[in-house]
Amino acid sequence: MGPEVVLSHLHRADGSATYTHNGYCVIGSVNGPIEVLRKDEQPEEATVEVNVRPAAGVGSPKERHLETLLHNTLRSIILTRSIPRTLVQITLQIRSLPEEDSVLGVNTSLTLLPHLLNTSLLALLSASIPLSTILTSVLIAIPSSKNAIPLLSPTAKDLLRAKPLRSLHVFAFSGDRKLLLNESYGSFGYEEWDDACEMAEEVCCKEGGVELSEGMEVEGQQGNLEEWLRQVVKRKVEREQRWRTAD
Amino acid sequence: MPLDTSIYPLALLRLDGRRWNELRRIHAQVSVQAAADGSSYLEMGNTRVICVVLGPAEGKDKGQRGAREGEAKVGVEIAVAGFSGMERRRRVGNKRTSEMQHCLSTAFSSLLFTHLYPHSTISISIHILSQDGSLLAACLNAATLALIDAGIPMSDYLTACTVASSASSSSSDTATSDPLLDLNGLEEQELPFLTIGAVGEKVSVLMLETRVRMERVEGMLAVGVEGCKRVRAILDGVVRTYEKKFG
Amino acid sequence: MPREVEVSVNERAFIQQALQENVRLDGRAFDAFRPLELTFGDEYGVADVQLGKTRVIARISVDVTAPLPERKFDGIFQIVAEFSPMASPAFEVGRPTDAEVILSRILEKAIRRSNALDTESLCIIAGLKCFALRADVHIIDHDGGLIDASCIAVMAALQHFRRPDVVVEGEKATILSVREREPIPLSILHQPLCVTFSCYEDGERILIDANLAEEQVRQEEVIVTMNRHGEVCQVAKYGGATVEPLALLNCINMASQKVKEISKFIQTKLEEDAKKRDAGGLMAELSAENER
Repeated sequence: MGPEVVLSHLHRADGSATYTHNGYCVIGSVNGPIEVLRKDEQPEEATVEVNVRPAAGVGSPKERHLETLLHNTLRSIILTRSIPRTLVQITLQIRSLPEEDSVLGVNTSLTLLPHLLNTSLLALLSASIPLSTILTSVLIAIPSSKNAIPLLSPTAKDLLRAKPLRSLHVFAFSGDRKLLLNESYGSFGYEEWDDACEMAEEVCCKEGGVELSEGMEVEGQQGNLEEWLRQVVKRKVEREQRWRTAD
Repeated sequence: MPLDTSIYPLALLRLDGRRWNELRRIHAQVSVQAAADGSSYLEMGNTRVICVVLGPAEGKDKGQRGAREGEAKVGVEIAVAGFSGMERRRRVGNKRTSEMQHCLSTAFSSLLFTHLYPHSTISISIHILSQDGSLLAACLNAATLALIDAGIPMSDYLTACTVASSASSSSSDTATSDPLLDLNGLEEQELPFLTIGAVGEKVSVLMLETRVRMERVEGMLAVGVEGCKRVRAILDGVVRTYEKKFG
Repeated sequence: MPREVEVSVNERAFIQQALQENVRLDGRAFDAFRPLELTFGDEYGVADVQLGKTRVIARISVDVTAPLPERKFDGIFQIVAEFSPMASPAFEVGRPTDAEVILSRILEKAIRRSNALDTESLCIIAGLKCFALRADVHIIDHDGGLIDASCIAVMAALQHFRRPDVVVEGEKATILSVREREPIPLSILHQPLCVTFSCYEDGERILIDANLAEEQVRQEEVIVTMNRHGEVCQVAKYGGATVEPLALLNCINMASQKVKEISKFIQTKLEEDAKKRDAGGLMAELSAENER
């Protein structure tokens, strides 16, 4: 199954998105540009605030760490200088995790990260925050058995079956195919990393690249994450502009 | 020698020897603190509180958050002394006191003529010195006295008392349930009770925190309103004697 | 932080005048709830409640800890309700507003202190081990009626939740995973539900389930918590305009009716979900067979 998304479904937030993929479900909302607290105000750029709220319990260092990663990545794609002295507030509520997530025994913040990144981008688009580029992100897992093929955007079940894992990589690419973020965990060589990176690039944004899964077919063609994203936005715009096309 | 209370139930007397509709001794003083605009000291049995009113004065925060346009803000602070209860605790019920603060603040915002003092704050600070039941009622009564002492115009006395329903909540026989007026700490722990704050015949504050059959509430309310009237007479007496002495 | 948007003077007057003519802006009767929707997640103990535009998700999670020293025979149960900027930009993380304190306090009184959940059943070994149950309330969208919606969500989630089974041998307790043994439902003693009444014109007009605009115009609120057996679990009226005692009794009567309706609604939803789950369980088994 490919990812599913519902856009702009919350009434109070300026922009919102619910993103469901592989059993992970994240609700993202964006408020902005709004008034910023005096102490956080920056004279020449917008302040970006990211809140990650876990499904159960209060935020722990894991969430703080994810917030930092998201903050740095998103700040680089939001055109913060065109909306100075304002605040862009991004809240990500994790709604559900796959059952196996707690017993994976791997770094769960990495398995979650691509979903959070994709959700926040969709929410930002929904809120019409000026962005310099889009972003797509994917998880790659390399099992430790010899000659094993790296797993592309694996489900929690896949990971459990492929245990033990040697390394986990999260890549995020911008619309112009530049690497925006890389988080890796485990032991790996440069070659392996390079392979993983190429694989990720292919699924994220390479033209005619491999699709994530069968569900990802975009109008009969094979599509990558970026194309999927374009389709989502296209549908959204069409929906918003339907008053024009209606007779 | 400890008091023999074994015959009390036979004579339909309560643990402290009162009848069902008897209030505890209420002792109150106004103008107990010279520095404040208004102050009071109130004892309801062994519950003792001091209340100090400052204002109407210019508020600390310019924005007057939480106050409506053109009305004074009523700020309430309740401090519970560590030695006030049976056990000594360093920090006493956080949420409970903030709930009481909220309750007092909303009750008095609509009772006082706040529209006469726009852009100002009336701050009520209450110190709980000793707790023995009917805490919220004592706070409300003390605040009423202190506000009268401060000379802030209000429509009427807001007086409060507690009422319990004496039969256990499991029996549905309404005929045997007797309301009890003005509970002490022990009774509060055993019986379902409500705190009622009335202005004249009308109810301003009503707090019921324990499970009780809905048929019982009617009787409790009736006794409560009656009790509030009697408290009002006592407080009125206090204010009038003070006025005769110094007025 | 930006402030909450307040209703304008015109809007306020409009709502008030409409109420005088016995009309609510959304055309509901005075004693009608907004359309209520309840969905359960794939996991046990997740309830998603939509009350008009208000949306609340409650999630129950369980852990094993040592019981509190003063309550050796009881498990631990806590309800955590935190506002997030998702529902309104005026909510600030880490600084509770009055509304937030009231919400968590009411939930605490309505559900925890009224002993809706039998905490003794959460005890594993007295004084050593017990289940710690936690209900997280996530406010996703805010259009008034948060207390009612949260209470429905928590109660539905509690009834939906299944805790893992446990085997005790002397001092040793083994928690059996979901795969090993079918998890068991919690023992719930009664189902308290909240109904919030909003009063206008000095208690002359009383509305059930006000939306955000109506909430901002109201003079005061009365929150009544009852169960379907006709017991009042909690009543809170924090000052505000004064009302006749009789009007309050009326509120309680109305609440008892509404609570019965909502209880029934939750029950049917739970049964539907149980049916779906059963069918899904069979299907899942079949597909597992096919894979091999």
